[in-house]
Amino acid sequence: MTAIRVIVNGAEVIDNVAPRTSLGDWLREGRNLTGTHLACEHGVCGACTVLVDGEPIRACLMLAAAGEGSEVRTIEGFDADPLMMALRDAFHRRHALQCGFCTSGMLITAWDLIRRGKASSAAEIRRGLAGNICRCTGYTNIVAAIAEAATAAEGVGDGE
Amino acid sequence: MANDAGGAAAGIGASLLRREDERHLLGRGSFVPDIKLPGTMEVAFVRSPHAHARIRGIAKPAGGERRVFTAADLPRLRPIRVETQAPGAKSPPWPPLATDKVRYVGEAIAACLAPTRAEAEDLAAQITVDYEPLAAVVDAPRDMQGSRHPVHEGWSDNLFSERVFAGGDIEAAARAAEITVRREYRMNRQSGAPLEGRAVLAYRDWRLDEIVIHASTQTPHTLRVAIGEILGIDLRRLRVVAPDVGGGFGPKARLYPEEIILAALALELDQPLRWVEDRTEHLLTAAHSRDHHYQVTAYASRDGRILGIDAEIVVDAGAYGLWPQGPYQEAAMAARCLPGPYAIANYRCRALTVATNKTPMGPYRGVGRPGACFAIERTIDEVARAAGRDPVEVRMLNIVRPEQMPFTSIGGMRFDNGNYPESLRLCAELLDLPGLRSRQRRGEPDGRVIGIGFAVFAEQTAHGAAEFVARGAAIVPGFESCTARILPDGSLVLMVGIQSHGQGLETALSQIAHHELGIDPARIAVRHGDTETSAFGFGTFASRSMVMSGGAVARASRALRDKLNRIGAHLLQCDVAAVRCRDGAVRGPQGSVSIAEIAKVAHLRMDGLPPGVDPLLEAVATYEPAVGTGVFSYATHGAVVAVDPETGFVELLDFAVAEDCGTMINPMLVEGQIRGGVVQGIGTALYEEIPYDEAGQPLAGTLADYLMPGAAEMPAIKIGHLHTPAAATEYGMKGMGEGGAVGPPAAIANAVRDALSALGAEVNETPITPRRVLAAIEQARFRVGGPTG
Repeated sequence: MTAIRVIVNGAEVIDNVAPRTSLGDWLREGRNLTGTHLACEHGVCGACTVLVDGEPIRACLMLAAAGEGSEVRTIEGFDADPLMMALRDAFHRRHALQCGFCTSGMLITAWDLIRRGKASSAAEIRRGLAGNICRCTGYTNIVAAIAEAATAAEGVGDGE
Repeated sequence: MANDAGGAAAGIGASLLRREDERHLLGRGSFVPDIKLPGTMEVAFVRSPHAHARIRGIAKPAGGERRVFTAADLPRLRPIRVETQAPGAKSPPWPPLATDKVRYVGEAIAACLAPTRAEAEDLAAQITVDYEPLAAVVDAPRDMQGSRHPVHEGWSDNLFSERVFAGGDIEAAARAAEITVRREYRMNRQSGAPLEGRAVLAYRDWRLDEIVIHASTQTPHTLRVAIGEILGIDLRRLRVVAPDVGGGFGPKARLYPEEIILAALALELDQPLRWVEDRTEHLLTAAHSRDHHYQVTAYASRDGRILGIDAEIVVDAGAYGLWPQGPYQEAAMAARCLPGPYAIANYRCRALTVATNKTPMGPYRGVGRPGACFAIERTIDEVARAAGRDPVEVRMLNIVRPEQMPFTSIGGMRFDNGNYPESLRLCAELLDLPGLRSRQRRGEPDGRVIGIGFAVFAEQTAHGAAEFVARGAAIVPGFESCTARILPDGSLVLMVGIQSHGQGLETALSQIAHHELGIDPARIAVRHGDTETSAFGFGTFASRSMVMSGGAVARASRALRDKLNRIGAHLLQCDVAAVRCRDGAVRGPQGSVSIAEIAKVAHLRMDGLPPGVDPLLEAVATYEPAVGTGVFSYATHGAVVAVDPETGFVELLDFAVAEDCGTMINPMLVEGQIRGGVVQGIGTALYEEIPYDEAGQPLAGTLADYLMPGAAEMPAIKIGHLHTPAAATEYGMKGMGEGGAVGPPAAIANAVRDALSALGAEVNETPITPRRVLAAIEQARFRVGGPTG
């Protein structure tokens, strides 16, 4: 077992993890943060996207032990975030989710795209979503929702 | 597109925003793997690496007792066997854990238990199975009449079933034909690939003396029936819950060995057990789909009028039949849909369902329709080409016209109503066909060639008892039920037998109750997917839930309304004929009383009830549409592609759908279903395939080699609606969940054919990969220039 110290959604967590445990499994099984979904477990579908030190990463491809000393933010850690609130509102009004399994990863990827100014057109948003698979919606409404939230965010500063 | 639910815009026809959204947007949904029970043991399976082999022995590691379970350790596991009354159909037994033989790569042999999945997999790696490999049956058309080692013992061939569908006089059509077109088509094997795989959590509840099974399934009630039968225990001792389900699309509408095994282990062991399918297991062992082979001969007059279709359909159904409907419906449905929405007088089709050493085939959005649509719509384009006419004109010449409705096709489908030619015209308009034709003539500056293709189809939906009895089904999903209960505060709970996994049925069903009772949708709960709460139901598949469950909600709501009116009239001291239930209250000539007040009387103050009226506000209703053979939605799909003749790469430039699903309860949800279905159909057309090698090894085991459509490759999808309410259903609804996935392979293949027309190349196999496009171009050059160029 490896001892780790990680900031998860703003709170310090100290735990012992098996060296082979992925960050995704640790968040879900060890921290009960089940909003991070595991769908392909080899880095293709993006359902498990979380932020590590502010960067979107695949929680299925990163080992929990490698998270030592870092800051992890999962979908549960965005409840008071204005940009995420705008995204959630736009996803709701635009019917940008159906079964909900890809949604956590989609929202975090979208949040990151807007923050980096990479959501200026439908084409740019579509390219930015290349690493997130949705099997239900056909993407049209997701792209529209992100574009809408990006426009709204322009007037709100950087979204934090 | 979406609008607010303000004012009256919450009933039928309103794009009411979804009540399902909030929990998912917050990351607080509850899928099977999210449910935590203390002491849960994880299950990993030992699975066959061979497509076809005898099992000579299984060696467990020392200390494996009570942690490793084979068929011998679980005598309770009786084989899965599909009952069918279809003539001549064979139904082999399927042991949930393999006994003496394995018949596909991935077949379960032993269940291994450990506190974590990783440790369970470690344990599974220590099991040694002694195999005697046998030659695998992998080529359905080649091996269907027999092979050295048939898939099932005692069979002289590899046929699950063989049927001939015929009408009119095909020989006369052949004699009269001025145009004869022959083609071979293939729609290759693929996965349904919901983003969430399958999952099962099973445990014993000692207090209630029952086994509780949480499963990622579309059909909790029938799953319980099957598990009870196979394990030989009373259904009162089984509860099946489908919580949030991360997509289904058909593959989760069938019984699987893992569900039975986990239930059996929960009976055996006093601790919760969980199996969560990983992606490789999903691609190897969840139901595969499509895998249709067609040989089609079309006979036509000089102007392109189709005189007859003569066809053979071979469906590669894999090793076993999935319960309840078995492997038979795919080929039969394809045979009945092959004549399409056209007035064709003469037809003959031999439909064969073949057992091979591959993963069992099950339903996937559209079931037999996408293959049939692909075959007939490609053929229509070739007839048009032979006649020297535009494919749209030739479709218009042959399509069933509104004045012919109701029309029974030569395939035996009874189209109820609609304006099929208008959907074709509208689709061409949405794409600006004349503009595209002139752009085509001008040519593209980058050297690519563009093409436009169409596909028209009618989709049987919400079929009831008559249809399933005719198919020879032993389980007849002919109705749905709703238990509607108004609570003492006037809020309403609808308990239904279907399962909603993305369709938005929690929202749409509340709209129907709102329409009937005037209760604010925010005060209505919809409980689904749980055998404990609803009376019974078959679940969500076959584009049936909105029509069937919606009909049951309508009936139960009306029964409640009658009782509300009786109590309300009594409280208002007027005649029941003088009151109306509207906007959450019963209103009479002199005043009104709210549903909340009536609910209070019905539960807490029964002294206020009129004489002869019992307390409680609860109604149970069932519903089957007035016509059991289905109501038909229909659509035309149009695709615009750009093909690079150098690389074979196909880019989708535009896609349009002109459809009619009768009355739309929630247009926002309808359009969501259409777009989602279309993108799945685009996956079938261009990307998704699970090939097998000669040894029966599947060659796509991860999402790195199984390509799913991504946002970057998809066009925004245009939608136009026609509105022809069904006569046989509540409010004129028709089912529409599957149609989106039916048309794209045909429309895109026709567009690719159109783009490559100058080169004389056509691709008659899905997915239309760059390799297949280049091969078709090469073959066309060879044909034109001869072997020496």
